[in-house]
Amino acid sequence: MHTRADGPLLVREEQQLVEGLLAGNEDAVRMLYTRYARPIFTLGLRLLGSAEAAEELTQDVFLAAWRKAARFDPTRGRLSTWLMTIAHNLAVDRLRRETGVTRPTLVLVDEVPEVVGTDEEESMIERDTALRALESLSDAEKRLLVRAYFGGLTAREIAETDGIPLGTVKTRLRTALIKVRRANQDKEPM
Amino acid sequence: MNCLQVRELLPELAVGVLSPEDQRAVEQHLQWCAGCRKEANELGSAAASFAFALAPAPVPSGLAEHVVARVRNASGAPGSRRRMHTAVASIIAAMVAVSGLGWGAVMAGRADRFAERARQAQLSKELALEQFQKVLAGAPVLGDQVPTSDTHLGQLAPTSGTRIGGGAVLQLVSPTTLDFSIVIVNGLDPTDAGALPYHVTLSNAAGAVLRAGVITALDNDGGANVFHQFNLDLTGYTTVEVTNARGELVLRGTVDQTS
Repeated sequence: MHTRADGPLLVREEQQLVEGLLAGNEDAVRMLYTRYARPIFTLGLRLLGSAEAAEELTQDVFLAAWRKAARFDPTRGRLSTWLMTIAHNLAVDRLRRETGVTRPTLVLVDEVPEVVGTDEEESMIERDTALRALESLSDAEKRLLVRAYFGGLTAREIAETDGIPLGTVKTRLRTALIKVRRANQDKEPM
Repeated sequence: MNCLQVRELLPELAVGVLSPEDQRAVEQHLQWCAGCRKEANELGSAAASFAFALAPAPVPSGLAEHVVARVRNASGAPGSRRRMHTAVASIIAAMVAVSGLGWGAVMAGRADRFAERARQAQLSKELALEQFQKVLAGAPVLGDQVPTSDTHLGQLAPTSGTRIGGGAVLQLVSPTTLDFSIVIVNGLDPTDAGALPYHVTLSNAAGAVLRAGVITALDNDGGANVFHQFNLDLTGYTTVEVTNARGELVLRGTVDQTS
C-alpha cells in the first residue's frame, strides 16, 4: 500500500485504497479507518444517539464498504462522500427498523464548536469544505437541510409543520443541495 | 415512475428520508436512467459532504481493532475463499469487458417495457459483474489456486417462444478443483408465478444432461442466480438451458470453453 497517510487523496489513490479494501488488505482498512472513522462515528452518534450504536454503525459501514468496494467508481464521486452515504443510509435504515426510537436531537451545524484533530487531516479538509459550502446557504436553507439530513424529517413533515406547500419544501431542498454541490465542486481532486 | 416523478423525489433520496417504497421505485429507475442517475449522484454527494460539517466526536479506543477484525474475518486470510473470489471476479470483469459478451443483444430480447433498459448495455455489464460477485461470495471454498485460465463465459438468449429475458453463464472447468457453474438470469416475468420453478441444465453433444440448479423465486427484475458444483468434469457441457415449470424452454445459450 503506497498511499500517503495524510493530505487529501488523489483519485488514483482513492481507487488504490478501495482495491486494497476489496482484497481484504489490512493496511488499506487501517488507512481508511484513520481517515474516515471519526466523521462516520460522529454521524452515527448524531443520528443514532448513543456511542454504542455509533460504534456498531462504524463497523457496519466498513464491512458494507468492503462488500460494495467493487462498485466504487472514483469518477462518479469522492471516496469520502461514498463512505458517508453508506453511513447515512445504514443509520437511517437502522432508525427505521427500530420503531419507537426517538428522532435524534437536531444539530445546529453552524453552532457546533470547532475541534481540530492532527491525525485525520482528510476529514478536517472535508469539514472545512462542508462548512464553507454551508456559508453559501441562507439560514432557512441550512435549517431545512439539518432537519432533513440530521433530523430525518420528510419533506411532507416539514411542510406540515411549517404550514407551507410540499412542493415548496422539495424545491428548497433541491436548491440547497445544488448550492452545496456547486460549492464543493471547486474542491474536488483531479 | 417517469423521469419527472423521479427527479421530484431525488432531493429526499439524497438526504435519506424517502419512504422505503418510493426509494425502491426510484432506485429501480436509476438502474437504467443515466440522466436521473447523474443528478442523484450529484445531490447525494452534496448531502453526504454535509455530514462532515459536524464537530468531530472522539472515537472510542479499540474501535479500530474491531473494524479491522470484522473486515479481516469477512475477507478471510490470504489464499482464502474471498481472495479467490476477488481474483475470479476480476477475471470475470475483464472477460465481460473484452469478450464482447453482447449484453445489449442479450437484453434486447426482453419485452417492450424493458427496452429502455436494454440500451444500457454498460450498466447491465456492471450488474452482471455484481451478481457474479454476490454468488461467488456465497460459494463453497474451491481451493487456494485461482483458476485464471479455466473460467468460461456464455450468454443466454430467449427462445422464440417466450421472447423475454436473458442471462449469462460462468463455468469453472479445472483440472485441479471441483468444477462449477453459475447461471444468472434476468428479465423473466416476475409476475408469472406459474412459471416457477425454473430448471437449469447443462448438456453435452452426446445428449448427457446435468442439473445445474433450480430457480424458485425471481426478484423484481425477473432475475435470479444459481450456483452448482459438480463432481465430474464439465468439459463439453456447453449447452445451457432454462426451462419453466410448464416445461417450456425459455432461455438457451452456449458456453465457449475454447476461450
